[in-house]
Amino acid sequence: MNILKIIVVAEDEMFNGSKSKYLLAVGGIFIFLSLVIIHYSNSIISLFPFQNNINVPYYLISYLIVLILGPLVTLIASYDFICNEIQTGSIRYIISKIDRTSFILGKFLALSSVFTVAVFIIAIISSLYSLFLFNNAFELGKIILFVVISSLYLSCFISGFLFISTLSPESKTALIMSGVFLGILIFAFFKGNGNFLKYLTPYFYGISNIELFGGLTHKFEFFELLKTIFLMIVYNSVFLSLASIAIKRRDL
Amino acid sequence: MTSNIISTKGLYKRYGSKPVLNDVTLNVERGDIYGFLGQNGAGKTTTIKLLSGLLIPSEGKIIIDGMDIDNESENIKNIIGLVPQDSNFYDKRSALSHMQYYGRLKGLNKKDAAEQSITLLDKIGLKNAMHKNIGHFSHGMKKRLGIAQALLKDPKILILDEPTNGLDPVGIRQIRDLLHEYNRGDMTIFISSHNLLELQEICNRVGIINNGKIIAEDKIENIRHLESNGVITIGIYNLNPKIINIIRNLKFVVKTELRSEYVIDVFVNSKKDVKPEINKLIVENNGQVFKLIENSLSLEDAFINATKMH
Repeated sequence: MNILKIIVVAEDEMFNGSKSKYLLAVGGIFIFLSLVIIHYSNSIISLFPFQNNINVPYYLISYLIVLILGPLVTLIASYDFICNEIQTGSIRYIISKIDRTSFILGKFLALSSVFTVAVFIIAIISSLYSLFLFNNAFELGKIILFVVISSLYLSCFISGFLFISTLSPESKTALIMSGVFLGILIFAFFKGNGNFLKYLTPYFYGISNIELFGGLTHKFEFFELLKTIFLMIVYNSVFLSLASIAIKRRDL
Repeated sequence: MTSNIISTKGLYKRYGSKPVLNDVTLNVERGDIYGFLGQNGAGKTTTIKLLSGLLIPSEGKIIIDGMDIDNESENIKNIIGLVPQDSNFYDKRSALSHMQYYGRLKGLNKKDAAEQSITLLDKIGLKNAMHKNIGHFSHGMKKRLGIAQALLKDPKILILDEPTNGLDPVGIRQIRDLLHEYNRGDMTIFISSHNLLELQEICNRVGIINNGKIIAEDKIENIRHLESNGVITIGIYNLNPKIINIIRNLKFVVKTELRSEYVIDVFVNSKKDVKPEINKLIVENNGQVFKLIENSLSLEDAFINATKMH
């Protein structure tokens, strides 16, 4: 594994690669959709008379957008990130120069960076709405927490989709397999409450931190935050390791 | 330091239970232009993929420039330039952009990658097209770009998988001249090809692979004489099946090929001159010999003989 080469792969994927425009477009659409939802959330909440005198919880709305819309957007962005290269054969030029783990990590870094920037922009939009419409203070700590947790949460999905992309023989299969994987994660989330299944789905880690942004119970535990951050890092590591093992076994 | 820059020992590759390579042991000496011959499906591309780290062997050792590929694959990749069989570049990127990317993957900084890319594209005759998208490139141009990217950072070993496939004679000549030029600068070249005449012209050593096994590996002049040290063309006015059978049954005859009604090619494997013995036998069986000429084998003949024998 070579960090400089990982950065070269990531940089190329974001700015010059065959899928860079697509990736940036998906990131842009994610931001745009979030902006639309945040903008109209004020109007939606004002429909409820009992809510008229309270602040619109922009951070919570933004976090819910990331929780619900984020996985779908990451699927669209990353489902064929690896298998497309294997299918076209362009991977041979790359793997003859760098090791496979660096290649996988480079791809992961590119996707994660784009979505980190996207959630950062979403957080800024939320805080600007909160600041200008309700004169709330600019909360840098909240923005940082939002970006860290949201990007880790989305990267869990990215690493899962990359693993599936490594296994898939072609883009179409990768899309179907990723869709099924997402379905399994949703199923595991709804059925796994109270048992180990919940740990297999990033939705669980995402929901665990909802209180940070003004969730339902307003009971926030610092230990819980650290635990979920740690578990999301483990989740990412497991799937990236699996992707690395899977690509080593593939005939390139 | 050993003179072998590439050596494999007991190399096996299996896909499931299907063996593709079977105990492949080959040795490429420093500075060689090594030709790797084999029929389709013989295991050439698999061997090349193993040497360049695109595949992991099921069993066996690969030592490149004294480094074990199991432990030092990254260092090995730094001294190898690979030209894969198919030229699969990104259609919507320019040649220069590809070269710069691959240069940086090889460990060059941005400035050096750009400089080397332009120099190599110029050398390979693609400087005028370097800003064009690859989608507009011809097959030959893509092949040349494949070679240019492999030459980035001046590798010690250049591995080429069927580099002249689909090229016109001018393109083939350009590549051959380029390979000679780089070989003079001490680069070791490992080249697989179906084009036997091509290999005959540029290689000094050859390995022949058949059904996943190396069946011959030697200097090109020795390979020519490996299974059959010559072809004797015999003209007989009254050539008939009886005479053909008598010739075939001689213990030093590898095979016979009928050229025309009166002329037969006899492939022989013997260190002594067997022409008088054959002539005597034909005459004893009332054959009227009007021609008896010995030709040395081409690499193509040697290759066909060797693969048929195994």
